[in-house]
Amino acid sequence: MQWMTLFKKEIIENWRNKKWIWVPLIFILLAIIDPISNYYMPQIIDSIGGMPEGAVFEIPELSSAEVILMTLGQLSSLGVLVIILMSMGAIAGERKSGVIELILVKPVSYQHYITAKWAALLSLVWTALILGLTACWYYTVTLFGELPVISLLQIIFFYGLWITLVVTIVIFYNSFVKTPGLVAFLSIATIMAMSLLTQVFGRFLEWSPNNLSGHIFESLMIDQLTGDLIATAFVTMGLIISFLIGAIILFRRKSLAE
Amino acid sequence: MDLLQEIDWQLVAPLLVIQLILMIVALVDWIKADDFNGPKWLWFFIIIFLSIPGPVIYFIFGRRR
Repeated sequence: MQWMTLFKKEIIENWRNKKWIWVPLIFILLAIIDPISNYYMPQIIDSIGGMPEGAVFEIPELSSAEVILMTLGQLSSLGVLVIILMSMGAIAGERKSGVIELILVKPVSYQHYITAKWAALLSLVWTALILGLTACWYYTVTLFGELPVISLLQIIFFYGLWITLVVTIVIFYNSFVKTPGLVAFLSIATIMAMSLLTQVFGRFLEWSPNNLSGHIFESLMIDQLTGDLIATAFVTMGLIISFLIGAIILFRRKSLAE
Repeated sequence: MDLLQEIDWQLVAPLLVIQLILMIVALVDWIKADDFNGPKWLWFFIIIFLSIPGPVIYFIFGRRR
């Protein structure tokens, strides 16, 4: 199978440049920082000088769902940044170094090339996400209170869709932009524009992928899947498929033109 | 010094261990490699002194591949 060969090449490469070690570790780190720092918030405030005399400030008791929401926020900022920066050269880098010509000189189908890259990145990112969120869940359950395992699985699945969309956007820009830095810039700009649109037209874009974390939080609060969450999941999947098809089309056009 | 006593080190240890592993993996990579963006010694200081972001910055930008 040609596709498997390409896929394996990607996995081996990501192993050699140690992405399989550092990306999961960073995700675990990012995911457990919020539960730990919030748990120690009173001590941290004390140690940096404490409250002024007479100030009354109740530190709110956080629920497990709130801690999870904070962690998702952390992953959506720094985690997404790490994903974009580590995959900005996935194809653009190969184009720059000329490796791509060595691969495409053989009869490799364009869609196999793109989807193998995409799948290899996803398997890395999903592994990191599963490890990170499980660690976060463990800390949250230990420090803040009950959260059933089924909730953890739902969080991983639905939040994974958001991360999958991010990876697909990076692959999309990789398919026709030559400079890794520009790929990173365009990916970040796209995600920021999406988030801005979601905020401005919030009422009409209730099912925007940017709302996934929020809908996950609502579902955790009422302890059942909301219709909004499921609809948002379908919208996100639709966007993932469109970006992927777009990537294949643009990549084919770009490669044939050269 | 109260803070140091109040912290449950079993809780915080994983954070430190992960940070240590990241640093060691980055250093092992750094010793073997010779294709850096910029001077080699500079990357050593980035890995060592910028505790969490250091190794990550190294892995993303350090090598020319």
